[in-house]
Amino acid sequence: MGFSLKGPSSDAWPLGPITRAPSIGALATFLYVVFICLPILALLAKVVSHNDALASVASEQVVLALRLSLFTSGISMLVVATVGTPFALSLARSESTVMRLVDQIVELPIVLPPVVAGVAMLLAFGRQGILGAALAQAGIALPFTTAAVIFAQIFVAAPFYVRSAKLGFAAVPREFEAISQTLGLSPWRTFLKLTLPLAAPSLLTGLALAWARALSEFGATIMFAGNLTGKTQTMPLAIMTAMETSLEDAIALSVILLALALLVLGALGLVSRRRWQGSA
Amino acid sequence: MSYATWGDAKVYRSSGWLRYRIGQFSLEGEWTVDPGQVLTLFGPSGTGKTTLLRAIAGLLRPRDGHIEIGAQTVLDSESNVFLPPHLRRVGLLTQGYHLFPHLTVAGNIGYGLIDWTPEMRRRRLAELVELFQLSELVDRRPHQISGGQQQRAALARALAPQPALMLLDEPFNSLDIELRRSLRSELRARLKEAAVPAIMVTHDIEEAISMADLVQVIDGGRLRSAGAPLEVLGQPGHGRVARLVGVENLLDMTITSIHPQDGTMVCVAPDGSGLQLEIPLSDVAGGSRVTVGIRASDVILADPEPRGSSARNRLPGVVSRVELRPPGYQVTLACGSVDLKCHITGTSLNEMDIVVGKNLWAVFKASSCFLVSDEDR
Repeated sequence: MGFSLKGPSSDAWPLGPITRAPSIGALATFLYVVFICLPILALLAKVVSHNDALASVASEQVVLALRLSLFTSGISMLVVATVGTPFALSLARSESTVMRLVDQIVELPIVLPPVVAGVAMLLAFGRQGILGAALAQAGIALPFTTAAVIFAQIFVAAPFYVRSAKLGFAAVPREFEAISQTLGLSPWRTFLKLTLPLAAPSLLTGLALAWARALSEFGATIMFAGNLTGKTQTMPLAIMTAMETSLEDAIALSVILLALALLVLGALGLVSRRRWQGSA
Repeated sequence: MSYATWGDAKVYRSSGWLRYRIGQFSLEGEWTVDPGQVLTLFGPSGTGKTTLLRAIAGLLRPRDGHIEIGAQTVLDSESNVFLPPHLRRVGLLTQGYHLFPHLTVAGNIGYGLIDWTPEMRRRRLAELVELFQLSELVDRRPHQISGGQQQRAALARALAPQPALMLLDEPFNSLDIELRRSLRSELRARLKEAAVPAIMVTHDIEEAISMADLVQVIDGGRLRSAGAPLEVLGQPGHGRVARLVGVENLLDMTITSIHPQDGTMVCVAPDGSGLQLEIPLSDVAGGSRVTVGIRASDVILADPEPRGSSARNRLPGVVSRVELRPPGYQVTLACGSVDLKCHITGTSLNEMDIVVGKNLWAVFKASSCFLVSDEDR
């Protein structure tokens, strides 16, 4: 507590072999930056040269896809935060073997190809799936509905939130909570007044990453929800469809997603600067 | 409940006992502390002192016990009473102070006043800020203030909701030595002012002596000794306690004669070396084997043999070792078969020209010797 690591001044350290050969570092930096920025600049250049591209922002397909993406990802994030927060807290606090096993599978969706996730969800919730008969009996048909889009987004995006939230909660010393309780705050109020604000930067980081992942979700959505305009055709799906008919629409959608991505990046930068010094 | 200043708030004696078991380790404790008193639990690290504090705070639930805090029963294993920490009215000061990093100093101090009216909270905060001389720091974050200031802020935070019992867990551990000494009397004065019963845990003998009204020596989860600080730690009458507090000289002797008119007894080393000591009278029979403790700081070195001294014990010996032991030196004198340790200042060492091999006299009063009972043998 109350201390920050101050790096020694650079002249206190003898130069290492890597810094003595700055050309390698400079070359690598150059390659990396060019590799990432060139495609993005190409996209922006196309927007500038194609006057129609910006006009396409208002086209019906683009508006429908944008609206659907914002709606579904919004609902997804609501579910992820509501269920993911207490789950992440249990993961951070519990020492039971069961929870440690659960911890191992939390990140499975991050490494699993989304297309596989889509197939798996069909086999679970589809008409022929394990729960299909029961769902059909209740009058619920999930596949190829907007709900299926949300299911797919939650499946692939939730781990990003849970992982970050878990680390955030784990970084709050138990001693803080003990003191808060001796000061007269019940465990629940201690969570609201102390643990939550202390972990907030991690929760926001996780939520931003999860939202970005949900917005870009493609593979699981197209397998489990299909590609129905206005119903299951989110922006990534709309881009793929538009590439065959209207390049302008595809570019317009891409620029919107790029803008949203930059928004997430900016939010992450703000959050990380707000981190409490000396702890968390 | 009274929310007024300390002067008007009612404070009560706090007492209790408990037994706690975790795996092989078992812990027993029993205490009574009056308002304004500091009880120190002294003992080496890892002997259950902190666990005891946590159990009193309600952060652990002992299997058996009965605890009274502020005229309220917060634990009674027989009638299954267990109040959680937030209902116990205890103040906790931890080793690292644990000021909440997302709040300012004022935010920290006011944290426990959440249910007070804004007006009362403001008044209480102003009162504490002034008392603890924190007025210039109220808007700072915990990492922006010094260790001593952090301790003050953490103590103010703990005292703000007017706890019925203060618990202090090694409150000086994260401070440097100079600061520790100067803050000790300050902390003690503040606890006295608050007139709240306090239980403090420490493994530092100086801290235990200077802070406490009462001392309990805890080792291996058991209470080994209890009483006034100097009584328990100055001349510890218990073998384990003597070793814990670092009594430098523990000599095995046999009682040869008893002199009630002088209030002394004479004992000799059983190895036949002729070493003889006069010690205070005690109710042991002649011929019994005893362990005699002598603090190294009570032994005077003399050269030549002092005549006309009132000190009853004068032993000749040869210096076998000289070690630096801040703030002075520890000289080991071989007196026959017995090694006697003695603490002197660097000035004395130089003036008397003490080096290994020099012949000297060790001088100490009979009353500097104390009997150490040793259950473990």
